[in-house]
Order: sequence, then C-alpha cells, then structure tokens
Amino acid sequence: MSREVWCIVEHRAGRVDPDSLQLFAAARKLDAAAVAVVCAADGAALIDQVAGHADRVISLNDPGLAEFTPDGYAQAIVPLAQERQPAAILTLHSHFLGRDLAPVLASRLGVGLISDCIDMEWSDGLLGRRLVYRRKLVATQRTTTPGPQLATCQRGAFVAAETVGTTAEVETIDAAIDAASIRWTVRGFDEAEVVAGDITEAEVIVAAGRGVGSEENLELVRALAKALGAALAASRPIVDQGWLPRGLQVGSSGKTVRPRLYLALGISGAIQHVVGMRDSDVIVAVNKDARAPIFEYADYGIVADLTEIVGPLTAAIKALRG
Amino acid sequence: MRIAVLMKAVVEPESRIELDETGGVRRTNFRYGLNEYDLYAVEEAIRLAEASDAEVTVVSVGPEEAVQSLRKGLAMGATDAVFVPAEDFLGDAAASAEVLAATLRRLQPDLVLAGVESDDLGTSQVGVLVAERLGYTAVTMAIGVTLGDDGVLRVRRELEAGNFVDIDVRLPAVLTIQTGLNEPRYPSLKGIMAAKRKELVRLELSELGVDTERLVETVELSYPPPRERAHMLEGSADAVVGELVTLLREKEKVL
Repeated sequence: MSREVWCIVEHRAGRVDPDSLQLFAAARKLDAAAVAVVCAADGAALIDQVAGHADRVISLNDPGLAEFTPDGYAQAIVPLAQERQPAAILTLHSHFLGRDLAPVLASRLGVGLISDCIDMEWSDGLLGRRLVYRRKLVATQRTTTPGPQLATCQRGAFVAAETVGTTAEVETIDAAIDAASIRWTVRGFDEAEVVAGDITEAEVIVAAGRGVGSEENLELVRALAKALGAALAASRPIVDQGWLPRGLQVGSSGKTVRPRLYLALGISGAIQHVVGMRDSDVIVAVNKDARAPIFEYADYGIVADLTEIVGPLTAAIKALRG
Repeated sequence: MRIAVLMKAVVEPESRIELDETGGVRRTNFRYGLNEYDLYAVEEAIRLAEASDAEVTVVSVGPEEAVQSLRKGLAMGATDAVFVPAEDFLGDAAASAEVLAATLRRLQPDLVLAGVESDDLGTSQVGVLVAERLGYTAVTMAIGVTLGDDGVLRVRRELEAGNFVDIDVRLPAVLTIQTGLNEPRYPSLKGIMAAKRKELVRLELSELGVDTERLVETVELSYPPPRERAHMLEGSADAVVGELVTLLREKEKVL
C-alpha cells in the first residue's frame, strides 16, 4: 500500500465533522493509505479525533488557519501536494471543503475535480462514480490531468472507517501562511437557533415537504407528530417558506437522521433530502405523485394527498395509545 | 457598478433520459429549461442593483435554449444579456468556467452571482472556478448578502441546518446563491415587453479564443441499479391507515 490518499478533515470549533471519517473508507477503497490532513492553528486536539481511524496524519499548523478560509487552506495544502504528489486528494462534498475549497485546489493544482462521488475505485487512476440527470444515470469519470486526482465524496456514501486500533503516525508541519493573502474575513458563526429537541436524537420523525401546501396543513402534520411522540422535521422548501426553523431541516444542507421510523409526508425525494434520511430503519412515504422518487427509498408507500391520510392516521395512533 | 449573473440551461426533469447504442446519453431527448437555482441569483442581483444603482448582465454559455432563460432574466429586470452558443463541452466544469471567465473579462463585473449548482449535472464547481480564473474572491452557499458603501460584501453563508457563518469579502467577488434568501419575482407583463427591446449580445466561442479542453471525462454511463420499490398500500384512506398501523406495529415493531 504505497499509494497515499489525502483526506482533508472538516472541523469547526474544535470538533471534527464525524462524516470526515468516511473519507478514510473511500481512501481504502482505492487501495491506498488514508492520510488525514488537518489544517488548524493548533491541530493537537483535532488529531486525537482522527488518529485512531487514519493510517497517517499530516497536521498543518499556523495562526492563519484558525478559521477555515479557502486561501489559507489552499496555501497550506497546494505547495505540499505539489511536492509530495499524493495519488489523490479527497474532501466531503459539503460544507466548506467540497464547495469552497475543492475547486480552488483544482484551479491552483491545475487538475480536474470529480464532484459528489458515491463510489470510487483505482484503475490506472481514480475512477469516480456520480449520479447525473437527477439520479437517472451514473457517470463514471476520471480526470484527464496528471498529478493528484481530486474528488469530493457525497456524505453517507461511504461507511465511516472503523478505528484501526493503532495510533497513526503524526507529522506536524509549520504551514507559514501569509495572512495578507487571505481574502475572507470570518466575522463569526451564528449557531444560536435553538430548536426544541435535536432531530438527530429522535426515534420517530414526521417530516413535512412541499406537498404540505399550506401552514394549515402543517398543523395536521404537527398533530400527528404529537400523537406519535415524534420529532417534527422538514425538507428544504418548508424551511425556505419560513414555516419551520432551519434546525429542523433534513438533508444535504440540513441534518442527517437515522430514526427507527421516518414518515415522509409530501416529500418528493430529491437527492438533497434523501441523503439526510435514507438510513432510517423504516421509511413511510405519502405523496400524491406515484412516480415520486421517495417511493424508491420508502419501505411503505401511499399514493394520496396527505390531508386524506394524516387525519385518520393521527386518530388511529391516538386510539392505539389510548 | 456591474453585476453579472451566470445562468445555465439545464436538461429538464421531464426529459426522457436514456442511453443510446453507443452507450452515450441520447441527447435528442433533451429538453432544456431554466436552472431554478439561478432564479434566486437573478433576483438577488436585481435587488442589489436597485439598492446601489448597478446594472445587471445575465450571461449564459450553452445550448440555444439558454436564450429563453436569459429573456426571463431580462424580463425580471436585468439590464442586458450575453449568450455564448456552445454544446460540445457541456458538462465539464473547467471548460465551462474557462468560457464564462473569458466572457466576463469583457464585461468587467464587480460582482458575479450564480446558483449554487445546476439541476442536471450539479458539480457545484463553476462559480468558484470562474472566480479563480478572474482572480476574484468566491463564497458559496450565500443565504444573505449586503453590500456596504465601502465595497465590502457581507455574506451570510449557510452551513448545516440552522448554522451560519458571516464572512466579509471585498469586491470583485463571485457568490453562489442558495435558495431561500429571497423570493424570485414573476416577470410583469411590462417587464416581458421591455425585455424584448433589451440588448442580447451573441458572442461566438471563436471570438473568445479560449481553450475548452475537458479536465474531467466520462468513461462510462450506466443506469443506477434498480431500487426495490416501496410496498405500496392501496385502498380507501381508512383501509391504508389501518394496514399501515398494523404493519408498523406487528411487522416492523416501531409503534
């Protein structure tokens, strides 16, 4: 296993994004050593969170890396990648690293970038598989450029690497960032939105989508959630309407949930939502459109306007619970 | 001040997507339409322009149908439009970015807005790749944008649900615009009429003299493995509810 794949670790406020561990699994699919690359002012506390999972750790330290900025991270990573030529460099497709950093790395390394891979293999270079045309086709892609192969991985597509049991060798490098070249000024984070009950902890979730249609109907959904003792959640359109707070959003720009029961009401099943709930134990979908992709992920499906179903279902649950 | 908005004609969801004899996608089935994400970028550009007396230029590189999208942008209130007809390299983010950057060099915009991604291929790379080529600063997933008099752009960027980061950048900049930060307006009849008189410039690839070499190639297209479809419950509302409750209680043991 002489090949090395660099996995850029996403972290914020001293906490490694746990989905970053999925990158190590992707690296091993490429028959490569998984090298965790941690950029931080001081990576010590972060290294502890990845060292048991990766084969090796490169810790790039500089005060200029205290917050994520594309310029800072690129300055730390690009020269080292040019010098050492890892076989591939991977990031998650969201949040900062896939969207703001990966294209910058691609530009500055002069290489192609394969986005949002759901699978990959090594065959004379990295082959990345991604869904195109709204999941109707799978494209197997490779870059045409020499040098490190760059790809982003869809969250949840790779199962997070188990601990390898040994503590990885850690190489600490002074990144020497030129602070004047950093063009982002990060003024702060707003994580103040308090939501009653974290949906990621819920055993049962009732989720509302565009098909709910009105705030009035949302009350029906809320009543069902109450009867079930379930957490209320939503797909993006409901949150964009301002009907429910963003903290309740499930999906790629929301939260990932794995409850025992997930009721998807009026949710069509766009991939942005599905990535956040597909690992639920039992999924029930109610949707007017029989062709809605949500039925490909659901265990049980009902083709109906949700207003016809939610009332009787609430009544049935109440009767059951006495 | 000039704001440019990148608009893409995407393969519409209703298009029949199938492989042809050569293993490629049957392009004759493609019906193109507006990339919905881009509407939020157009709306945001118009709002910023109204507040700062700027001009908005909508720009598209792609199939002829993109003209319809550009016309919609003009009807919503953009000042003018630039269209570069191109089909051969569609789908390669780097090649698209190369052409867009060459086009934007002629316009010299202070600010460039784009949707967060395209609905058909969705690499979500183009905005940032364009910024890199122009030497502009990029921020993706903007859910709030304020332009100060000092040329500082205050951007609220979405992280995972309910969490945001506030970032200041100086112009010139490229932002990709997330849905939900505004409500795109419907063009008024007056807007639609006015759009017909607005300038839509066609630029040929040959005039731009850019290298549209692909940096990513598709070596194979295939159908995703069929997923097992849900067990569909049918009958009256009361009947399906009864059956569902029984299944969830007795078979799945989740109630």
